[in-house]
Amino acid sequence: MNVKLEFTLNGKNVTVSTDPLRRLIDVLREDFGCTGVKEGCSEGECGACSILLNGKMVTSCLIPVGAADGQDIVTIEGLSETEKGKLIIQAFADGGAVQCGFCIPGMVVAAYSILCENPDPTEDEIRLGISGNICRCTGYDLIVDSIRLAAERGGSIWKK
Amino acid sequence: MEEVRAYIPETLKEALEIRSRTDCIPLAGGSDLMVSNKRTTGVAPSFDKPVLIIRNLKELKEISVNGKGECVIGAGCTSAEIAQSSVVPWHLRQAASRMGAVALRNSATIAGNIANASPKGDTPGPLYLLDARVRLTSLAGEREVLVSDFIVKFKTIDLHPDELITAVVVPLSERNFDYIFWHKVGTRKANAISKLTLSQAIKFDGRIVSDYRLSATATGAKTNRSREVEKLIIGKEITPALIEQVIDAFDEVISPRAMPEFRREATRRMIRRFLSVASERPENRVIDTFDGFHVTGQPEPVF
Ligand SMILES: Cc1cc2nc3c(=O)[nH]c(=O)nc-3n(C[C@H](O)[C@H](O)[C@H](O)COP(=O)(O)OP(=O)(O)OC[C@H]3O[C@@H](n4cnc5c(N)ncnc54)[C@H](O)[C@@H]3O)c2cc1C
Ligand code: FES
Ligand code: FES
Repeated sequence: MNVKLEFTLNGKNVTVSTDPLRRLIDVLREDFGCTGVKEGCSEGECGACSILLNGKMVTSCLIPVGAADGQDIVTIEGLSETEKGKLIIQAFADGGAVQCGFCIPGMVVAAYSILCENPDPTEDEIRLGISGNICRCTGYDLIVDSIRLAAERGGSIWKK
Repeated sequence: MEEVRAYIPETLKEALEIRSRTDCIPLAGGSDLMVSNKRTTGVAPSFDKPVLIIRNLKELKEISVNGKGECVIGAGCTSAEIAQSSVVPWHLRQAASRMGAVALRNSATIAGNIANASPKGDTPGPLYLLDARVRLTSLAGEREVLVSDFIVKFKTIDLHPDELITAVVVPLSERNFDYIFWHKVGTRKANAISKLTLSQAIKFDGRIVSDYRLSATATGAKTNRSREVEKLIIGKEITPALIEQVIDAFDEVISPRAMPEFRREATRRMIRRFLSVASERPENRVIDTFDGFHVTGQPEPVF
């Protein structure tokens, strides 16, 4: 049975009438066109489907859309419109962090969540912060360096 | 009329009313249920009963200390929230802070970890060690049961159909322990769950051990704690021979299936390490470094 659900998606109030047990990743991709949310493993292991739910990074393949009712959701599409998101994306581009790009939306969400909690992370802290995000291409080093670059370039913006 | 697939209550009372009249599956973080019931891309997971979505119930989100000096953790608190709380006992904070990776810790709840009743679950180790209880609430009232009794056996819990876990109550006895130990031993993969964890705590009265506790996860069909083993050392002075006796007795208690030799050896070494260092009365309460294994709290080399 369909249920009418309301939540904010990338800053806008949206409603959808659907099966509340559909996975949030499917609703975001199919009903709202947020195809930056990628599906890798479908079981919480790879981080490609990472989004922000009430400001916290979660994997959207593990959440039924009914649990999003009344909540605040930001995907890579919304994050890339913000000052902080733009800064991370530019640092990834300049730092050579991207190869095939499949893991990158999730990595940007992870980078954002690392830097919001810890504006000046060490290499180990960055590696721990992205440890739930799998990348098959880069070997991670340039991603880690690019997150450091985003920390340095952003400076005080990460503190607010 | 089409079947109801899920209920999304706004309050705990509403959730309990639904529990009282419907046979349904509570879903909190979803990190176990959405995996075990998943089908395929674009297709909703299939559940054999309606689902009660309790992820956002505010009543289940608080962490406080009650009048009896016990830490009361709302059933819906996530690993991240527990790891960050200064009132949560040390062993439990360690376990919560090392569950999965960041995104998992923002979803996984403590009640879900207990109710999943998996020997691989990380929080039951500290919860058994500290004699923690689950608070079970229905419209008819409330009862509290030791976590170690609530988890009856592999994948089986003592939950009545009209109840929800509403809180986990942890005595703050660990404040009295002189030395504490928690360690997770496993592969380097952040989200791999079948890792062995060992929790230990000890208190001395002069040279005599007045309390000793030991629990292990991922070493059998259930989380392991044995009061018989603990009694071997309580009331005595620690000697190398006594340590070996405790080690051998606990080795009889555990029955690891995957990598059994490795898990047995790691367990033996961690008990030996903790008891021998504690008997020397170092200044630091937390006994953590361990030859040949990573240091607790330090990031493991992730990749
Ligand atoms: C990628 C990944 C990594 C993981 N890593 C770890 C790890 O390192 N350590 C570990 O221990 N676990 C790990 N897990 C397993 C899982 O995340 C935990 O068991 C988690 O705590 C489950 O909580 P949840 O809220 O997500 O549970 P859910 O999936 O929502 O529910 C799990 C069970 O609990 C029941 N339940 C939930 N809340 C209540 C309640 N209030 N009252 C009654 N019943 C309730 C549900 O009905 C269900 O049976 C991992 C899982 C994944 C997918
Ligand atoms: S698709 Fe969600 S974590 Fe891999
Ligand atoms: S860039 Fe290809 S998976 Fe990371």
